[in-house]
Amino acid sequence: MFTRGTLIYIGQRVVLIAFTVLAVSSIVFLGIHRLPGDALFNEHLHGEQYALLLHHYNLDQPLLTQYRDFVVAVVTRGDLGESLVNRGVKITPLVLRELGISVEVGAFALLFTIGIGLLFGVVASVRQNTWIDYVLSTTSVIGYSMPNFVIASFLILVFGVWLDNVTNGGFYYQLGGWKGDLGQLWLPAFALGFPYASIVARLTRASMLEVVRQDYIRTARAKGLRETVIVARHALRNALIPVITILGPLAIGIITGSVVIENLFGIPGLGKEFAQSILNRDYFIVIGVFTMYAAMVGLANLLVDMLYVVIDPRIRY
Amino acid sequence: MPTPILQVRDLRTQFLTDGGIVTAVDGVSFDLHPGESLGIVGESGSGKSVTALSLLRLVPDPGRVVGGKVLFRNQDLLQISEDDIREIRGRDIAMIFQDPQSSLNPVLKTGFQVDEAMLAHGKTKAEARARTIELMKKVRIPAAESRVNDYPHQLSGGMRQRAMIAMGLANTPPILIADEPTTALDVTVQAQILELLADLNRELGTAIVMITHNMGVVAGLCSRVIVMYAGQIVEEGPVEQIFDSPQHPYTWSLLRSIPRVDALRHERLRSIEGIAPDLLHPPSGCRFHPRCPFRIEKCFTEEPKLQDVAANQRAACWVTMERARREMGADNLIDIRPGVGSGVHPGEGI
Amino acid sequence: MATAVARIADVTEPAQASLWSDAWRRLRRNRLALAAAIFLVFLVGIAILAIFYTPYRMSATGIAPTYAPPSLAHWLGADNLGRDQLSRLMIGAQISLVVGVGTQLLVVAVGVPLGLLAGYYRGWLDSVVTFVINVFYGVPDLLVALILVFLLGPSLANIIIAIVVTRWMDMARMVRGQTLALREREFIEAGRASGAKPVKMLFGHILPNALGPIIVQATFGVPAAILFEAFLSFLGAGVQQPTPSWGSMAKDGVDAIRFAPHMVIFPSIALSLTLMAFNFLGDGLRDALDPRQKR
Repeated sequence: MFTRGTLIYIGQRVVLIAFTVLAVSSIVFLGIHRLPGDALFNEHLHGEQYALLLHHYNLDQPLLTQYRDFVVAVVTRGDLGESLVNRGVKITPLVLRELGISVEVGAFALLFTIGIGLLFGVVASVRQNTWIDYVLSTTSVIGYSMPNFVIASFLILVFGVWLDNVTNGGFYYQLGGWKGDLGQLWLPAFALGFPYASIVARLTRASMLEVVRQDYIRTARAKGLRETVIVARHALRNALIPVITILGPLAIGIITGSVVIENLFGIPGLGKEFAQSILNRDYFIVIGVFTMYAAMVGLANLLVDMLYVVIDPRIRY
Repeated sequence: MPTPILQVRDLRTQFLTDGGIVTAVDGVSFDLHPGESLGIVGESGSGKSVTALSLLRLVPDPGRVVGGKVLFRNQDLLQISEDDIREIRGRDIAMIFQDPQSSLNPVLKTGFQVDEAMLAHGKTKAEARARTIELMKKVRIPAAESRVNDYPHQLSGGMRQRAMIAMGLANTPPILIADEPTTALDVTVQAQILELLADLNRELGTAIVMITHNMGVVAGLCSRVIVMYAGQIVEEGPVEQIFDSPQHPYTWSLLRSIPRVDALRHERLRSIEGIAPDLLHPPSGCRFHPRCPFRIEKCFTEEPKLQDVAANQRAACWVTMERARREMGADNLIDIRPGVGSGVHPGEGI
Repeated sequence: MATAVARIADVTEPAQASLWSDAWRRLRRNRLALAAAIFLVFLVGIAILAIFYTPYRMSATGIAPTYAPPSLAHWLGADNLGRDQLSRLMIGAQISLVVGVGTQLLVVAVGVPLGLLAGYYRGWLDSVVTFVINVFYGVPDLLVALILVFLLGPSLANIIIAIVVTRWMDMARMVRGQTLALREREFIEAGRASGAKPVKMLFGHILPNALGPIIVQATFGVPAAILFEAFLSFLGAGVQQPTPSWGSMAKDGVDAIRFAPHMVIFPSIALSLTLMAFNFLGDGLRDALDPRQKR
């Protein structure tokens, strides 16, 4: 499965990802660092204090030197610098912790997306043109036609307000540490994943309908295999191929969608950090978070390509 | 003759299309005897493939088998339950298809797909795997033990088709239906596959139903042949007899249009003029009359039924070649054009 | 030889014309797409109407009790500053349409030429374009747009630019694919053999054939862009107050969801209907323009 050619391909892709992350962070870095020093600080400072602060953040150096130091720090030590607003707070550990949280929510959302999406898509295709199909298809169109914060708001409306099932603070994570269990995560994960589950369902349905018309399905029937076996073993694996194609953009959509969802639900992940830091003008954190995201996107794309190799034996790089 | 192993009576299969109802198989009846190799010959659209699919109830949407009986071991295959027909598929009546490239699942290993034919009918994994290797050797796939783990795209066209044959024979079915198994292959490979099928027919005694548009294939493999046109049987009989003295003008034209290696170079290729009829609106009377060189007036209005024209040979024709030879100079015809032999042409309006 | 090619062109031209009339016929039969189209016409009408007339001034605060539910005076209620929601929703329609259509026009202007050139000439040009496309795909679009809007300032123009910068690649990649496939077709060979200039080939032969998918892609791009703007607004980087966008209205609504659900419901419905309409229309266009349909 993982031939020499494949491994070389992976290597090339990793290099490309590193390059992209570097390039993109550099642009952001340079863009932000061109702002004058006092635009970067919230307090008004003069004289020696100001000079000390500038020096602390390396801002008294020429731009190119700052950039070189930044790159060296990131590549050798993984050091993304220090927060502008909260002095002394190192960015890298902060961002890594939040990354873990975002990944957990995102992973649930992804599982939900793929699981429910595939299930609904297969059912709709097997029961084509019946009421089940119409209900599922309509639901899925509505699903991907609505922004996820709208879906989230309605869910909050239904579960948080009208049903009064969950208490006020139920969706919001404790500041001290967060529980992260399914009981709390399901709502944001659902809101995050639902639009994408709808897309997956739609695509799976269309793909299954096409696969089921193929000659090899006819062969499988002629052998006397049972319908369930034909669907699960013969049809589904082939139908998955176009679904995997969109898995990349889909994972990225979940990553970016989490920015909105985390803000809505108060989840202390990367997305919330990003929006907050922009608001607080803590640009260094912005650079750090952005770099993390760029890396995530690149890795997500690579993982999807690898998934192709697993599912379709005809693909070898 | 021994009792037929399969009896098809008045089979009728229709397709409900947006444009209307297409009757692809219109009252087809024939018998298949144990160990016999029967050829079903016809051009595209003649209904030969649909006939085969109808036997196992594999006709895809929007097709429906709407009438007739298919008798196998005292059961009407068209009436038994879904579970029962599934038992029969692959175990008692197996079918292999035209394009092994698209007929094998690209994401599953070839050996597994052959195993499946047996797993579906009660064998264990170990039994199936052992037999798969044995079968693949029998169909002359070299290095069978390693080939079982290859995917279809890693095999050549000929090997894929052999694998399909192995799949078909896995449960040693008494009947094997082969739907144009050589059409998608190179000519040299075609010959090998046909030879293989002939050997298997002899050794295992499997009855083979060979569907093809190629008369040469029939000549090489089959003992009896059915000629189909526009959803109906127009002639049937022993292969040698039919080749020697075809009685239906269509069969005669088919045989005549085969390019001959010993033909003189300046001789034009002879083809049957016209195209296959539109089954949404089939021609009145005999369906072949718009293209038939020997039609008479009756052919335009009355549909001929199959009648004995010689020992064991039947044809559905008002004229028959016997008369066409005698009275219409059929043997001297150079062009096969409608009405050229009989001189009968439609009045205004056709 | 040249006359033979000219005759081939004569034969292909009428076939071209009938592709469009065929497509139009098929589209007309798709009732969902028709309903969507009618809705969109209605929406455009509202947007144009809003230039001249809205029930109240959209920025007028305090003309209704804050958070007032729908009433005869204010059909869709009032928001947290006592502004009339109906008027704001109408102006919001303008914003959404301008963003949706504006971004797609620019995406076509940028993506189509790049795709054509990359696909037709191949070689190093194609390598460069593909590389750039992949780099742009390697970054999270929402974040880049957020940063861009933040650096450039949140005006409508900048938002459109930010969306175009992050989403032009879909069009370019698709057009490149179409060009690659089309250039291998026989009529292109014939054209080249008769000495037609590349520009004529590109714009006279390849582009017309790629036009169908381009239209479909753009039609699907509109709701994606509107959604994008809604996200930006939700995060505070959309059009600034007092100009309303459906996304910012929804955001204000979410804050008040417990006691004034009408604030989030109406902009959400507007967004959803508009997005669905464009999606259904896109589906209809795609089915209608698919040359493999046999009807």
